[in-house]
Amino acid sequence: MKLIKENTLSPELPDFFQEFTKPTKANAGIPDVSRRDFFKISGIAGGGLVIGMAIGNSPKAKAQGSELSTLSPYVQIQTNGRVNLFSKNPECGQGIKTGLPLIIAEELDCAWEDVDVVQADIDATRYGVQFAGGSLSTPMNWMAMRQAGATARAMILTAASQQLDIPVSELSTSNTKVQHAASGREWSYGEFAELAATIPVPDPSSLTLKSFDQFKLLGRRFTGVDNYDIVQGKPLFGADTQMEGMLYATYTKSAQIGGRARSFNEDHIKAMPGVVDAFIIDEVGNPKGFNTATGDMFSGVAIVAESTWAAIKAKRELEIDWDLSNAETATWDDLVDQARAIQHSDGEPLMMLAGGPGASIPTDNPASKGDAEAVMESADQVLSAFYEYPYVSHAQLEPETCTALYENGSIEIWAPAQIPQGGESSAAALLGVPQEEAAERVVLHQTRIGGGFGRKLANDFVSEVTAIAQRMEGIPIKLQWTREDDMSGDFFRPGGFHSYKAALDGQGNLVAWQDHFMTSTMNDVTPMTSADLNASVFPMDVIDNVKLTQTMFKNAIPTGPMRAPASNAFAFTFQGFMHELAVASGKSHVEFLMDTLGEPGLANPENPGSMHTGRAANVISEVARISGYEQDDNEAGRAKGLSFYFCHSGYVAQVADVSVSANKEVKVHKVWAVADFGFIHNLSGAENQMEGGIIDGISQLFNSKITFENGIIQQQNFHQYPLLRMPQTPELEIAFLQPEEFSPTGAGEPSMPPVLAAVTNAIYNATGERIRKLPLYELGYKLV
Amino acid sequence: MATLNINGQTMDIGEIDPSTPLLWVLRDELGLVGTKYGCGIAQCGACTVHLDGAPVRSCQIPVGNLSEQQITTIEGLAADGTLTPVQEAWIEIDVPQCGYCQAGQIMSATALLNTNSNPSDAEIDAAMSGNICRCATYTRIRQAIKNAAAKMNGTAFYNAAEGGELA
Ligand code: FES
Ligand code: FES
Repeated sequence: MKLIKENTLSPELPDFFQEFTKPTKANAGIPDVSRRDFFKISGIAGGGLVIGMAIGNSPKAKAQGSELSTLSPYVQIQTNGRVNLFSKNPECGQGIKTGLPLIIAEELDCAWEDVDVVQADIDATRYGVQFAGGSLSTPMNWMAMRQAGATARAMILTAASQQLDIPVSELSTSNTKVQHAASGREWSYGEFAELAATIPVPDPSSLTLKSFDQFKLLGRRFTGVDNYDIVQGKPLFGADTQMEGMLYATYTKSAQIGGRARSFNEDHIKAMPGVVDAFIIDEVGNPKGFNTATGDMFSGVAIVAESTWAAIKAKRELEIDWDLSNAETATWDDLVDQARAIQHSDGEPLMMLAGGPGASIPTDNPASKGDAEAVMESADQVLSAFYEYPYVSHAQLEPETCTALYENGSIEIWAPAQIPQGGESSAAALLGVPQEEAAERVVLHQTRIGGGFGRKLANDFVSEVTAIAQRMEGIPIKLQWTREDDMSGDFFRPGGFHSYKAALDGQGNLVAWQDHFMTSTMNDVTPMTSADLNASVFPMDVIDNVKLTQTMFKNAIPTGPMRAPASNAFAFTFQGFMHELAVASGKSHVEFLMDTLGEPGLANPENPGSMHTGRAANVISEVARISGYEQDDNEAGRAKGLSFYFCHSGYVAQVADVSVSANKEVKVHKVWAVADFGFIHNLSGAENQMEGGIIDGISQLFNSKITFENGIIQQQNFHQYPLLRMPQTPELEIAFLQPEEFSPTGAGEPSMPPVLAAVTNAIYNATGERIRKLPLYELGYKLV
Repeated sequence: MATLNINGQTMDIGEIDPSTPLLWVLRDELGLVGTKYGCGIAQCGACTVHLDGAPVRSCQIPVGNLSEQQITTIEGLAADGTLTPVQEAWIEIDVPQCGYCQAGQIMSATALLNTNSNPSDAEIDAAMSGNICRCATYTRIRQAIKNAAAKMNGTAFYNAAEGGELA
C-alpha cells in the first residue's frame, strides 16, 4: 500500500507563475492561514446551516431545492444526500471542472452520481490562487483537494457518531453513506450534514488519506460535468453573458501595434444606427508587454451600441487618426534576414535568469557548462544546423469577450479569464481602487472559457471592458472582439532561431552541444515573454559540455505564453537536430536517445523538478514498442518518425506514421503517444488533452504562421491562418505509464510539443529531406 | 414587425436592420446564445444552424433574407427535454474540451445523420470539414457520430465514459 508521493513542480514555469508556485501555501492551494482557521473562516462563520438552492449541472440536481449544509468552501451537503463540490479554477477545456471535484469526491467517499459540481467564485481568502495555466491546476491542488474531501468525510463521521451514539471506530463510509458493519445499517450523508457543519475542523494530521489501491473513482474515465449543458447550448461561456439593459461594445486598436488614437470620425460613427456612444480611450502602462494584473491596455476607439452587429458595422466605418510615434516598425522578413546573416557567428553569452528559467532578471552566471569548444575541436564528428520557426497565434475559438457593470465606484465583471484574480487586479488598478477596498468594489465572476491556450492569461480584454464600462456608468457592457481583433491583437508565440552545433565521439555518443539562440527583446535586457531559452532543455540537461549564446533583436511585437510556452517550438528544433545526430551516429534513433539519457536518475540531482532520465527512457521505449518504430518497415514515401520531450513535469514520446507523395502531399496516418504524467485520475480527460495536443501540434507544423510588416500583423482570420480540420486528423493511439509512486501532473501542455519533430523526422525517413523551418506549407508541403 | 420560425415557434424580432446576420439576431435579440461566433466569415462553423433542415452558417445569412424558413438552433434539438442520440453520444464519448465549437459540430452532425443514417468515414469527414475545433476533438466527434448512428439504427454502440478504449 504505497502512499502517493507528491511531485516537485517543474522548473521551467514562466515568471508570472513564479509567485503562484513559490510559497508552499499556494502549492497547497489554500491561503495563508492555518488549515484549521481556513475551514473555520469558510465554514461560514464557524459553521451552521446555510439555506440555498442546489446549482448543479445534472437534470437531477435542477429538480431539487433542498437545505444545504456548508462544511467547507469545497463541500456542501443537502439533507437529501446530494453533494455540491466546488471547483476553484477556471475551466478552459482542460477538464479541471471535472478533475478537481473528482479528487474531493474520492476522499469524501461519494458516489459520483450524487455529486453536483459548482464553479467557485473568485475568492483568494477561501480558495488561494485560482488560475488555469502551466499545467498546474492538478498538481498544485491534488493534495489540497484530497484533504478537503477527507476533512469533510471526517466531519460527517464525527457528526454521525454523535447523532447515532456509536463510536467513530465502528463506522465506515461508502457511496455517500455512513455504514455500521456490526448492525448492517447505513445512512445517507444528508442525515448528518446539518450537525457536520458545526463540527470543529479536524487537524489535518489526524486525517488518513486513501492509498492508491483504495481509489474507487480516480483512474477511471469520466465525462465532463458541463457536457449535458454544452450539448444543449446552455449559456456557460463568457460570450453568453446576458443582462437586462445590456449594451454591446467593440474596441478598435491600431493595426500598427502601439499606435495611439488622436481623433476619429466621431460624428459619422455616432450618427450610425444603433450606436449609443463612441469615444477614445488612452493607452495605459506598457501594453506591448505581456501583463496579467496591471491594467495595461492599448489606446483605441470604443463603440457602444444596441447590438453586437451595430457595433461591428460602425467599427468597419471607423477612420482613426493614429499617433504612430511609439508604434512598432518590425518586419518579420527582416528578422529572418538578420538571423540568417549571423548564424555562423556567436552571440552574447546566455546568462542564467534570477529565480530560475522564466524569471526576468539575468544574473552574472553563464548558462554554459563544461568546455564545448574544446570538445568539438577534438571530436570525431561535428554537425551544425540552423532551425527557424515563426510567430504563431493562439486562435482559441472564443474571441476575447467580457461583460462589466460599473456603478458608484464599484465594478462587477463576468470574464472568461485564465487568471481571474489578475482580472480583478487589472480592473482595480484602472479604476484606482485601493487594495483594501478592492474586495468590496471589484467583483469578478469566472465563466467557462471558450478556449484559452494561454491567450486568456492576459487580461487586456478585462481592462478594456473596465475602461468602457466606467464611461458608461450604470449600464452593463459586453465587449466583443472580432476574430480580426483577436488574430492581430494577440500576445503571440514568439518566432525564433537556433544555430546549433554538436559533437559526437568515436562511439557516436553526444559529447558537446552549442546553441546560438536568436530572439526578440523590447528592453535590451531580457527576451520577450516566452521568448527565452531554458537551459534545462533535453539534451542540454544531461550532457557535460554546453555552450549557449544569444542574440536579441529589438522589437516589441507582443508575445506571451501559448500551450507549452517555449517548448512548443524547442521540441521541434531540439528533437529535429537530435535525429540528425542520431543518423550521423550510426546508432538507431532509440539507441542514440537512450545512450544520451544514460543511467536512470535526475538530470540535475540537486533539482527534484528536473527530468528523470529513467522515466524519459521508459516512455521512449514504450512508444517504440507499440508503434513498431524499430521494425525498419519504412518504404519509399512512407515512414515513421519519433520524438520525445519533457516539460511541465510531463514525459511524452510520440511516433508518427507519415506518407509523402511526389507532389509533397503529406498524410499523417497515425500517431502513437506514450506519456508519464504520474497517476492519471481521469483517463478520459488525460486522453482528451493528448488527442488535442497532438492535433494542435500537427496543425501548427503545417500551417501556422503570423507575419508582420512595419509592425502590422498580416493575418486577420482563419482564411489566412488555417487550422487543421477533420479530414486531416490522423488515427491516434495513446498510452499512459503510471508509476504508482508519482502523483498526477498536468497533461494539457506536455502533450503537444513532441509531435512536430515526430512528423518532420518521419518525413526525413520517408524522403531524405530534412526540415529545419516551419511551417511546412512554405516548403511546398500540404497536409491532406 | 418581423418574425422568424425558430425551433417550432414564431418569434418576434421587432424592427431590425435587415443586414444583421441571423447569428446576432439569435444571440443578442432572442437570447439564444448556444449558437456561437467564431469568425464571421464562414470559416469556422461555430454558428451552424439548420435552415429547413440543412446546415448553414448563420453569420452569413442576413436576417432580411429570411421569411418562412424553419430555423433550428442547438436549443431546439432537445426542446422537449429529451436529448437526441447525437447529444447523448457527445456526452458518452466525452467529446467537448472547451465546448465552444460543439453546438456547431452537433448541428452539422445532426444534419448529416438526418439525411444519411449510416455515413462512412469519408462522408463524415466531408460533412464536418466546415467546422473547426481548435481544441481538436475531431477523433471523438467522428466516434460520437458513429455511436449516434448506431443508436438511431438500433445497433450496438460503445459507451466510452464507462471505461474501456475508444474504438
Ligand atoms: S462564425 Fe460563422 S462560420 Fe465562423
Ligand atoms: S471543444 Fe474547444 S473549440 Fe472545439
